[in-house]
Amino acid sequence: MKLLTRLAVVAYLLLFFGFLLGPLIIMSITAFNSSTFPRVVPWECLTFEWFTRLANDTRVIQGLEFTAVIGVFVVVLSLLLGLAGALLLTQIFPRARAAYYTIVTSPILMPGIVIGIATVLFWDRVAHFVGAGRDSVFYHGVFLTVLGQSSFIASYCMLVFISRLQRFDEGQIEAALDLGATHVQAFRKVLLPFLRPAIFSAAVVAFLASFENYNTSVFTLGHFSTFTVVIAQKVRFGLDPSISALSVIIITATLFLALLNEAYSTHAERHPGNPLRSVFRGGVSGFFAGNPAAFLALLMLAGIVATTVYATRYDPTRCKAEVLRRKLEIQERYARPTSPQRATPPAAAPGGQAPTPPRQDGFGGAFNPQNLQIAPAPSAAPAPAPTPPPPRQDGFGGVFNPQNLQIAPAPAPTPPAKP
Amino acid sequence: MPTKSWLGTFITRNGYLLGGYIILAVLVWILLVIVLPQIAMLDFSFRFDLPPYKQGGPEDVYTLSNYRYFLLGYPGNPDGYNYVDLAVFGRTFIAAIFVTILDLILCYPIAFYLAQVAKGRLARVLGVALIVPYWINEILRAFAFRVIFGASGIINSILIGVGIIDSPIDFVRENVALYAGLTYAYVLLMVFPIYNAIESLDPNQIEAARDMGAPWWRIHWRVVIPFAKPGITSGCTIVFMLAAGALAAPQILGGPSSLWFTQIIYRTFFESVNWSRGAAYAVILLVICTLFVLLMMRIFRVKLGEIGR
Repeated sequence: MKLLTRLAVVAYLLLFFGFLLGPLIIMSITAFNSSTFPRVVPWECLTFEWFTRLANDTRVIQGLEFTAVIGVFVVVLSLLLGLAGALLLTQIFPRARAAYYTIVTSPILMPGIVIGIATVLFWDRVAHFVGAGRDSVFYHGVFLTVLGQSSFIASYCMLVFISRLQRFDEGQIEAALDLGATHVQAFRKVLLPFLRPAIFSAAVVAFLASFENYNTSVFTLGHFSTFTVVIAQKVRFGLDPSISALSVIIITATLFLALLNEAYSTHAERHPGNPLRSVFRGGVSGFFAGNPAAFLALLMLAGIVATTVYATRYDPTRCKAEVLRRKLEIQERYARPTSPQRATPPAAAPGGQAPTPPRQDGFGGAFNPQNLQIAPAPSAAPAPAPTPPPPRQDGFGGVFNPQNLQIAPAPAPTPPAKP
Repeated sequence: MPTKSWLGTFITRNGYLLGGYIILAVLVWILLVIVLPQIAMLDFSFRFDLPPYKQGGPEDVYTLSNYRYFLLGYPGNPDGYNYVDLAVFGRTFIAAIFVTILDLILCYPIAFYLAQVAKGRLARVLGVALIVPYWINEILRAFAFRVIFGASGIINSILIGVGIIDSPIDFVRENVALYAGLTYAYVLLMVFPIYNAIESLDPNQIEAARDMGAPWWRIHWRVVIPFAKPGITSGCTIVFMLAAGALAAPQILGGPSSLWFTQIIYRTFFESVNWSRGAAYAVILLVICTLFVLLMMRIFRVKLGEIGR
């Protein structure tokens, strides 16, 4: 019985973490497959080209720049608002405290698109009120996005500050004031140092939340695009392994930082006082002894360096030529019986007419109508443009889908004719 | 308590500079960033969608037409009700509840395990494994599910390879990918509040129940779950609200025949460019979801102040 319970627990844990980590692992593997559609099977060639493609994607790079700018503004604004919110919570009169707490935490629960819409509409009204035009700051994507994101990110920051402030002894401030410090001095010399770890973690949380925000930003950005919005557009309009490559970079960075953090906190536990200095004083061996996370981090760093070096020397052209040859063979075999005149240059067969197997054809599923909007046309075949779009979510968000037509009615007062 | 004396004590305690900063920042936050935008949205939702030169003119009056449209469709709609939008709203609502329940079932055991059973290094490793996926962009997580559930994705390849099916299942069309993706997206938000609640439970209570011969399910039913109720409510509230308001995952993983209500709002804004109706729909989403959460809290007898801790 006891054994059975243990087995059940282990099985559950495996399933749970399989669900949690499996998708990320599979996605990461697809970044190294040369197939133009991100997948693990059938495996074609090991390649690093998707990373190159990603690095050359100017929209992604530009999105990253906007994300960084917006992120910095959001961090600063959210820290200021969140800190003030947390400081006021302990001091506001008790009867108002519950209502106050509800208001300042409500943005966390509010759907992101509601926040985005409300922000756009409100500043539109303000612009009207002061008579500002369309090119004024009130319609500027960065301005609106920073405010929209800060409304709930400030709440995150506030929660971080509150949990730290709960352990603060108010007597310290009073003592400082009694000893003749001004309020600002007491704040700077007593409260701020105490809050430093909370400021750091709130800033990290704020930046990450800003970085990955989509729902609010997509309404407030206007014609700008942040990194996340660019990625979302890419994913909506076609699956591309360079997105997998991006995920690999983010996952690796996250994992590395998590390991580093773990290594550091293990170290800090053993060396209370000034852990950072003892890293340098105690030497490298002292840092790694009995600290598996540090060891893993080092191993990971070595792995990253080795992979990068290998990637610069590795050349998949031969393997890819071989895969292409095999694809053409398959294509030829299927093409010959029905249309022999097209068999010699199989690449010339128009996309829509080639009698290809229903799935997993040699062209990475490009002829599969279900993948039409997903896989970019492979270099060996002409773009299958003449085929009519299949009746599913097309590249235009399904607006051409007859089932969806009735949802977006004409804004004119005259009703559109119902089919 | 009279306000002036409160303000007086507040200033003596914080000084003019610091006290001024606190008051100013909180006012800016609450008024300009939280409350007034919501009021502006509410105001917009009760107006006609007019071109800018007509705004403020004689035609710019309050109206219920946007809400009427949600219920009844365009004027003279022969169907009687706006079945399309109502059906999408209902489906979104039910799907969000479904995702919440799924997450609760999935996450309660792991939260209990981490809070009461796992010790030392194992607990830390599991904690990191739990948090790392949450650091990956929401879009990329949805993308991962698209890769897995695609027509030539790994699940279909395996199923065909093993011989269970012979043509690929369209998981995207069947919404399996969407539900899986949404459930995945909010795992941590469910685990964390429940973990926090269960962690503060004295293990002796469980021990006592066990000593008295309670089977494991009754220990959970009578001891752990009642104790963790605020955490469970908190987790369910967050997951429900975020799932109902999700936009990225339905856009990426949603099937063609099943829209999410947020997608309708998105289209009203960007394709019909009807801000008033978009605002009305956003208000509908916000108000109905909030009322539902409050109702559930009433039914399960949880007070608002208990959650969010």
